[in-house]
Amino acid sequence: MTQAHQAQREWLQALLQGAPAAAGPEWLARMHAAARERLEQLPPIDRKQEAWRYTGIDTLLAERFVPPPHREADLAPEERAPLEGLETWRLVFVDGRFQPHLSALEGLPEGVIVGDLRSRETHRDNLLATSVAQASGHHAHLFTALNEALADEGAFIQVPAGTRLERPIEIVHRVTDASAPWLITPRNLVLLGERAEATLIERFSGRPGTRYFHDGLTDLVLGRAARLVHYRIQDESREAWHLSSLRLDQAAESRYEGCTFAFGARWSRTEQNTVFEARGAECHLAGVYLVGEGQLCDFHLDVRHEVPECRSSERYKGVLFGKGRAVFDGRILVAKDAQRTDAHLSNNNLMLVRDAEVDTKPQLEIYADDVQCSHGTSVGQLDPQQVFYLRSRGLPEVEARRLLCLGFASDLLEAVHDEALRHHVESRIRQTLVLEGG
Amino acid sequence: MTETKTPMLSIRNLHATVDGKEVLRGIDLDVGRGEVHAIMGPNGSGKSTLSYVLAGREGYEVTAGEILFEGRNLLEMDPEERAAAGIFLGFQYPVELPGVNNMTFLREAINAVRRARGEAEMDAVTFMKKVKAAAKQVGLKDTLLKRNVNVGFSGGEKKRNEILQMAMLEPKLAILDETDSGLDIDALRVIAEGVNALRSPERSFILITHYQRLLEYIVPDRVHVLAQGRILRSGDKALALELEEKGYGWLLGEEAVA
Amino acid sequence: MGSTQDTVDDLIKAGYEHGFVINIEQDTIPPGLDEDIIRRISAKKGEPEWMLEYRLKAYRHWLTMEPPRWAHLGLPEIDFQAISYYSAPKRRGEGPKSLDEVDPELIEAYNKLGIPLEEQKALAGVAVDAVLDSVSVATTFREKLAEAGVIFCSMSEAIREYPELVQKYLGSVVPHTDNYFACLNAAVFSDGTFVYIPEGVKCPMELSTYFRINEARTGQFERTLIVAEAGSQVSYLEGCTAPMRDENQLHAAVVELVAMEDAYIKYSTVQNWYPGDEQGRGGILNFVTKRGLCKGARSRISWTQVETGSAITWKYPSCILKGDDSVGEFYSVAVTRGRQQADTGTKMIHIGRNTRSTIVSKGISAGHGQNTYRGLVRMAARAENARNHSQCDSLLIGDKCGAHTFPYIEVRNPTAQVEHEATTSKLSEDQLFYCRSRGLSEEDAVSMLVNGFCKEVFQELPMEFAVEAQKLLNLTLEGAVG
Repeated sequence: MTQAHQAQREWLQALLQGAPAAAGPEWLARMHAAARERLEQLPPIDRKQEAWRYTGIDTLLAERFVPPPHREADLAPEERAPLEGLETWRLVFVDGRFQPHLSALEGLPEGVIVGDLRSRETHRDNLLATSVAQASGHHAHLFTALNEALADEGAFIQVPAGTRLERPIEIVHRVTDASAPWLITPRNLVLLGERAEATLIERFSGRPGTRYFHDGLTDLVLGRAARLVHYRIQDESREAWHLSSLRLDQAAESRYEGCTFAFGARWSRTEQNTVFEARGAECHLAGVYLVGEGQLCDFHLDVRHEVPECRSSERYKGVLFGKGRAVFDGRILVAKDAQRTDAHLSNNNLMLVRDAEVDTKPQLEIYADDVQCSHGTSVGQLDPQQVFYLRSRGLPEVEARRLLCLGFASDLLEAVHDEALRHHVESRIRQTLVLEGG
Repeated sequence: MTETKTPMLSIRNLHATVDGKEVLRGIDLDVGRGEVHAIMGPNGSGKSTLSYVLAGREGYEVTAGEILFEGRNLLEMDPEERAAAGIFLGFQYPVELPGVNNMTFLREAINAVRRARGEAEMDAVTFMKKVKAAAKQVGLKDTLLKRNVNVGFSGGEKKRNEILQMAMLEPKLAILDETDSGLDIDALRVIAEGVNALRSPERSFILITHYQRLLEYIVPDRVHVLAQGRILRSGDKALALELEEKGYGWLLGEEAVA
Repeated sequence: MGSTQDTVDDLIKAGYEHGFVINIEQDTIPPGLDEDIIRRISAKKGEPEWMLEYRLKAYRHWLTMEPPRWAHLGLPEIDFQAISYYSAPKRRGEGPKSLDEVDPELIEAYNKLGIPLEEQKALAGVAVDAVLDSVSVATTFREKLAEAGVIFCSMSEAIREYPELVQKYLGSVVPHTDNYFACLNAAVFSDGTFVYIPEGVKCPMELSTYFRINEARTGQFERTLIVAEAGSQVSYLEGCTAPMRDENQLHAAVVELVAMEDAYIKYSTVQNWYPGDEQGRGGILNFVTKRGLCKGARSRISWTQVETGSAITWKYPSCILKGDDSVGEFYSVAVTRGRQQADTGTKMIHIGRNTRSTIVSKGISAGHGQNTYRGLVRMAARAENARNHSQCDSLLIGDKCGAHTFPYIEVRNPTAQVEHEATTSKLSEDQLFYCRSRGLSEEDAVSMLVNGFCKEVFQELPMEFAVEAQKLLNLTLEGAVG
C-alpha cells in the first residue's frame, strides 16, 4: 500500500470512528453495516483509475470532517423564500438535517409520499428497506460507500401509479453553520409508479464561509412509462466539496430528463449512471457548468444500453471564466443486443481565461450495428467577431461577452420547461460570470 | 395482350408484403415496347412498393403472382442483374453516397452493366463525351459531376442526376418514381425534355406520379389508377385529366360498391 | 437473391495472401531472455560498448515493469522466455554489401511478396530496405540516395557507421522507460532502418522498409529512426507481412522521427501482418510505439496508416508539436474482422505556439472484430492559438463486431481550439440497393462504399501505395458484406 492509500484509509477510519452509531430502524443499521464492509473491500481512489484520472481528492483528504448533529435549525427570511414565481412542495435540510418546520408539504395528492428517510410515515411496509437494498452496491466507490455507511437522512419521494403531480417537488439543502467542516450524507430515494409524472428540483447552497462535504447518493426508480423531469442547481459555498451520485433504474417506456446547473463548490462531482434494461426507455442528461477561480467541476456520466430501442443523450456545456478546471467523462455503451439504439453525446466548452483547464473524454462503446450514435466535443473561445459586433452596437465588452456566454448555453436553458426556474438559472449565470474584458 | 406481340413487361396477379403487411393485392399490368405508362394514385396506394418490387429491393416480399420482363422471370434476379437486363429505377429519394465520386460511380455502373451484357467497356473519351452531353441535356452543372453522389445536392439536382444516370445507362424500361415531386416548373420541364429525348420505339417508361402535372409534358400512352394495392382503372391520357378534376374519391367509392 | 449478410460473411472469410514461409537457412538464437542473450545479440551485430550498455540499462528497467493490462483488449499471456530474440538468414561473411550478395532465394521470396529488390524491377522512385525477422537483408538504391547526401541503411549499419547520429537521437523521442514494449525493444532490438536527410535536401525518392517475420517462435523488434534536418523532406513507407502460424508472434517495434525547422516527414504504413484464423488462433501481436518530434519551427510530421492485419494491434503514432507553427497529422484506416482487435489512435501534444493537428480515423469492424480509437489531444499552457480537429468515424458490418471511441482532450490554453467529432453507423441498405439497382454487384457496391468511407485517408498515401491499400482493403473485406 502506498503512502497515499494509507492516508486514505486513515481518513476514512477517523470519519467512521467519529460517527455515532445511528439509533435508527433496523434496515438502516443493516445498510450501514453492509457499507462498512464494502469500504473494507473497495480499492482506494487513485489517479490511475480512469474514473479519477483528472479529479484529485487531496483537498478532501486534508480535511477532518464530522457529521452534523441532529438539531432544529432556522434560516434567514431570504434563505427561506422560495424561488420567485415557483410553487413547490418542499423538503428543507439545514446543515444536512431535515427541518420539518421549514418544509412545505400541504396538499399533496392522495398516495403521494414526500418526506424524510427516517420518518415513520415513509418507512411503512418496509418498502424503503427493500428499495435501498436493491439499489445499493453497483457503481460503488469509497465516497458512495461512505454515504451509505453514515447516511441516516435523506429525501424519500413516492408517486403512485398514474399520478401526475401539478407542482414540482423541491429538495433544498442549505448549510449555515461555519463552525466545523461537516460531512453531509443524504441518501435519497425517488420512486415513480407506472405512468406517474413528476418534476423534481434539487437546490444545494451554503452560506459564504461554510466548509462541508456534501456526499449525496440518490436512487431514481421509474416505473413503466413514468416520466421524471429533474433539475439540479448546485450552488454550494465556494469552500465546499460536493459529490452527487445518481443512479437511474428505468422500466420500459419511461423517460428521464435531467439537467444540472453547477455554479458553486471548490470541488464538485456529479455522477449519473443509467442502465437500460427495458425497451423503449429514454434518458436525456444535460448540464451547464460555470467554473471560476480555484474550482474543479467534474461530470461523470455512464449510460448503458442493454436492450433494443432505447434513446439517450448527454449534452453538457461549460464556461471556464476563472482559473479552474472542468472535467467531463461521458460514456455511452451499446451492448450486443441493443439494436436500434439512438444515442448522442456532446460536450462543448468555452475557455475564457489563462491557467484554466478542460479535460474531456466523450466515449462511445458500441457492440451492436443497427445504431445511430455520435459524439462531438469542442473547446474554444468566444468569437472575437461576435464580441466586436455586439460592441459596435453599443454593448460594453463585459456585457457582450456575458451575452455570448448565455447564448452559448441557450439551447440547454431553453429546455428548462419551468419559466420561473429558467429565469432563476439565467440570472444566476449572469451573476456568476464575472468576466473581464479583452 | 395480343398473341402476335409479347409485352416487354408483364405483371400477373402480383401480391407483395412489407413488414408482414400486404401492400400489393393483385396487380395486373402489361407494358409494351416503346410505350409510356403512367401510374397514378393516392399516398399509400402501393406505387413506390411496386417500383421497389420491380427493381428487386430486399424487404419487399412477393407472396403471389409473377413478373416477366422480356420473357424472363424478373423475381429470380438480383437488383444488379435487373439493371443489366435493362431496368432502371429513378428513386423518389435518391440516396447519398459519401466519398463516392459521381463520375466514378457512373463509370463503374455503366461498365458493370456492359460487362454483364457481354459488351466491351466504354472508353474514357466516349464516356466523357456522353456524360457532358447528358449533363447538359438534363441541366446538371459540371461541378456536380465531380462531387460525391448526391451529397449536398438540392432536391432538384438529385432528380436531374437520376435522369442523367438513366441517359447514361440506356435502359429498356425506366421506372420513374415521383420524379416530379418537389420540383419547380422549370426543373420539371427540363426533366421532361430529358425523358422525351430518350423516348424511342425500343424503350418503355413507367411514370409513377401523384399529380397530372408531369403528364402535360410527358404524354403517356396509358394511365392507370393504383389504389389499395390494385389497379382500379386504366385508360388513356384523358383519365389523368379526369382524376385531376375529380380527385381519387369517386374511384375509391366505386371500388367500395364493387 | 444473395442477402447482404451472405456477402458480409464471404468477405469476412477472405484468405490471407502472404501466409507462406520462406525456406531459407536461418541463424536463430534459442528462445529465452536474460542479460546473456542481450550480450549475444549485441555481439552478433558487432556493436560498440555504448550500444550494449544502452540495451542492458533498458533490460534492467524492463525487469521492474509490469505488463500492461488493457480493458478493451483480450490479451493472451505472453511468455517472454519462449520467444527467440534473434533470427537472421545465414550469410556469407559480413552481410550483404550489395544486392549481388543477397541470397537469390530471398530475392525470389520478396518478388513473391510483390517487393522486387532488383533495382531495375523495382517500383520507380522507391528505395527499399528489406528486413527479415531480426535483420536487414537488402537495401536498394543506396548509391543514388548517397549522391543526394541521404543516409538510408539498416540500423545495425548505422550503429557502426554513424555512431554520433545514432547516439544523439536513439531514444530521444521514445525513451526506454516509455512503456513496457518500448522498453523491451530497447533491450533486444535487432535491426530496422535508419534515415538521415541533410539540411535542405528533398529526398529524391520514396523510402520504404518491408518487414517480414519468417521464423517461427521469434519476435520481431525493429527500430526505425528518421532524422530530417532543417528544410528537408522525406516520404517513408513501411509494409509488413508474416506467415500463417497457429501461435501468436510478437512484433514490438519502436519508430522515432525527428523533424527540424521547416522539415517534413511523411510516414505511411500498410500493415498486413498475419491476423490469425477465424477462431482467433495465431496471428501477430502488433505492439508498436511510434512517435515523432516536431522539434523545429514550421516542421511537419504526417502519419498515415492502413491497418488490416495482426491479431491484436496496439499503436498510437504520435506527434510532439514542440516547434512553433509545427503541424501534426494522423490519418488512419483500421479494419478488423474475424477475431481481430485493433486499439489504435494518436497523441497530439501541442507545446509550441500556432501548432496545428488533424486527426482522421476510420474504423471498419466486421465479423467478430473489435476496433477502438483511443487518442489524446493535449494543448499545453503555452500552446497559443493551437488548433486541433479530429474526426473519428466507425463503420459496422454485421452485428457481432464492435466499434469504440475513446478520445481524451486536455486543454490548458484559452486561445487553443479543439474540435472532435465521431459517428458510428452501419453500411446502409439504402446505399447498397441504390448501387445495385444501377448494375453494380453487391461486392463492388460494398467496396465502393467502403473506399468512399476511407477516401480522406487513402488520398494521403503516396499514389502507388494508395492503390495497394485499396486493393488490400478490398481483399480484406472480400466476402464480408452483403
